[in-house]
Amino acid sequence: MKQILNQVRSEPANILKSLLALQEQFGHVPGQTVPVIAKMLGVTTAEVAGVLSYYPDLRTSAPGRHVIRVCMGESCYANGCGRVLRELQERLRADVHETTPGGRFTLDTMSCAGNCAVSPTVIIDRDLYGRVLPSQVDRILEKYT
Amino acid sequence: MATRLYLSNDTSARAAGAAALAEAWADRSDIQLIRTSSRGAFFLEPMVERDGADGRIAWFNVSPQDLPAILSGKGGTPVQTIPFLARQTRWTFANFGETEPLALDEYQARGGLSGLEAAFRLTPDAIIEELRVSQLRGRGGAAFPVWNKWKVAQQAKGERKYVVANADEGDAGTYCDRMILEGDPFRLLEGMLICARAIGAGRGYVYCRQEYPAAAATLRAAIHKADEAELLELDGEPFPIEVVEGAGSYVCGEETALLESLEGKRGVVRARPPYPAQSGLYGCPTIVSNVLTFATIPHILSRGGAWHASLGTEQSRGTIALQLGGRVKHPGLVEVPFGLSLRQVLEEFGGGMAPGSRFKAVQVGGPLGSLFPATGLDLPICYDAFAKAGAVLGHGGIVVYDHETDMVDLARHFMAFTADESCGKCTPCRIGSVRGREILERIQAGSGTMDDLRLLDDLGETMKLASLCALGGRAPYPVLTAIEHFPAEFRNKLSAVHRQS
Repeated sequence: MKQILNQVRSEPANILKSLLALQEQFGHVPGQTVPVIAKMLGVTTAEVAGVLSYYPDLRTSAPGRHVIRVCMGESCYANGCGRVLRELQERLRADVHETTPGGRFTLDTMSCAGNCAVSPTVIIDRDLYGRVLPSQVDRILEKYT
Repeated sequence: MATRLYLSNDTSARAAGAAALAEAWADRSDIQLIRTSSRGAFFLEPMVERDGADGRIAWFNVSPQDLPAILSGKGGTPVQTIPFLARQTRWTFANFGETEPLALDEYQARGGLSGLEAAFRLTPDAIIEELRVSQLRGRGGAAFPVWNKWKVAQQAKGERKYVVANADEGDAGTYCDRMILEGDPFRLLEGMLICARAIGAGRGYVYCRQEYPAAAATLRAAIHKADEAELLELDGEPFPIEVVEGAGSYVCGEETALLESLEGKRGVVRARPPYPAQSGLYGCPTIVSNVLTFATIPHILSRGGAWHASLGTEQSRGTIALQLGGRVKHPGLVEVPFGLSLRQVLEEFGGGMAPGSRFKAVQVGGPLGSLFPATGLDLPICYDAFAKAGAVLGHGGIVVYDHETDMVDLARHFMAFTADESCGKCTPCRIGSVRGREILERIQAGSGTMDDLRLLDDLGETMKLASLCALGGRAPYPVLTAIEHFPAEFRNKLSAVHRQS
């Protein structure tokens, strides 16, 4: 942790950049590490906790092996992202923000992927799927173990 | 000899099948696959092109087994005859589909860097004067005259000055910044360098949203190439540009929240004044403009401000990058001079409605933009006409909704978005959006009353007038325009005793 924070250290301390670097390495930033991070960056614990809780992409608990994000942007909405999300919820037996038993998938939504011209969009880890139909969900999920 | 084929490497093109094509053809020694940017005709993607006698020939919606036909030259369409592209006036997006995004030599061969060269021949005052003549307004949403902002930053005193490109394109339905970052990154860097020279800045940042990983990677590679070519220098001093990624907060697209986030803090909105041009990043004079604005500037310097002012309408000069999405037949990027009507854009470029769907409403300007029914389609697309109609062009996103759209649910969707994304600093937005969502959920559940509709109206007025930034201030517009244009849908969902009142 010290090594990573030293790498991103800039004057003045950049809390967000530091937390993102830690998350990149460890997958999430546990809440109990906040005082340690604060001390190393020379800021208050409230400042670190405030940043950690503010940004949707910062996680305080480990996600599943694969993170599924369904885009809920307007173009995706108009093209049936709601049906795709419901299909995923049924297949995975998990609600939004939940992880499936065994930790295979975490289901999330996002506000816009900028993939509006080939919507609806589903992102799994770093793979982006466009023009997704509910009937294709099964075949897409099969690729991830 | 291997046949040269061109295939887009743009995120949306890859999602539409270009990634699968490239993978399927990876071992073919008889083709040389050049990965370009996308022309933005996404309804045709994946689109494969090859050189012809009079320019490129294209094949549309290609699947791997189409390769023999392409190699034999059967069935291709000359790119210049594709109506969706032929009807556009492309300046900012002129390179799209033509060049490899990271080929600096191709960028230069097609006129790139000539704006920067022109800027080096001018004094900082003369650069700003050129911008004044051009009448360029910021393409981010506020549409503030660019020259004016630059003048303030130029005259402001500061230990250091900064140029920040806002690549936090969070408005749903918009993707032109993403295309520029991925498809023509040197144009953004050139615009930022011109700005830095005009105001005397010593450092640049691009704040890129986390949702655009390919854009951030391409941009970092472009910065590296530009640095190697010794382009990141101004008057003998280095001008470093760094890409900083966000963490999923929509409000960080607002310029002051963006600066807070760039400093590593919670991305909450700052009260203005002072404006960032006076006191921005770390309290220093800072120009924050979005990617499209910077990308528009090189042509203004190379062709002259008067050229830019000759395009568009009286208050809206130049071209606008419209991004068509939703239930339209031909979704994609359209660059045209300001002034076409919404109807023209949807019919001539959008190709009408997607098969099997009927028009219900169109929304312009992202999740905070107003909804228009069919009767609003003759509105010309320019800042003044939209302002007069109480609407915004925002970042040029256009989303079409069809007959299956439930307007009550759509209104709830918008309010829930604001409630999720509010930074929490001001009460009207933080509390108002949650209350708004609750009222709409009550109506959805069938227990709403006429008083609830009046309450939404009241709440909307408060949010419009008293919010600190556009998130709270604009949030009521899509909800109230939905109620205004589709009142029956809301009334029919009210509890039975209230429907008649």
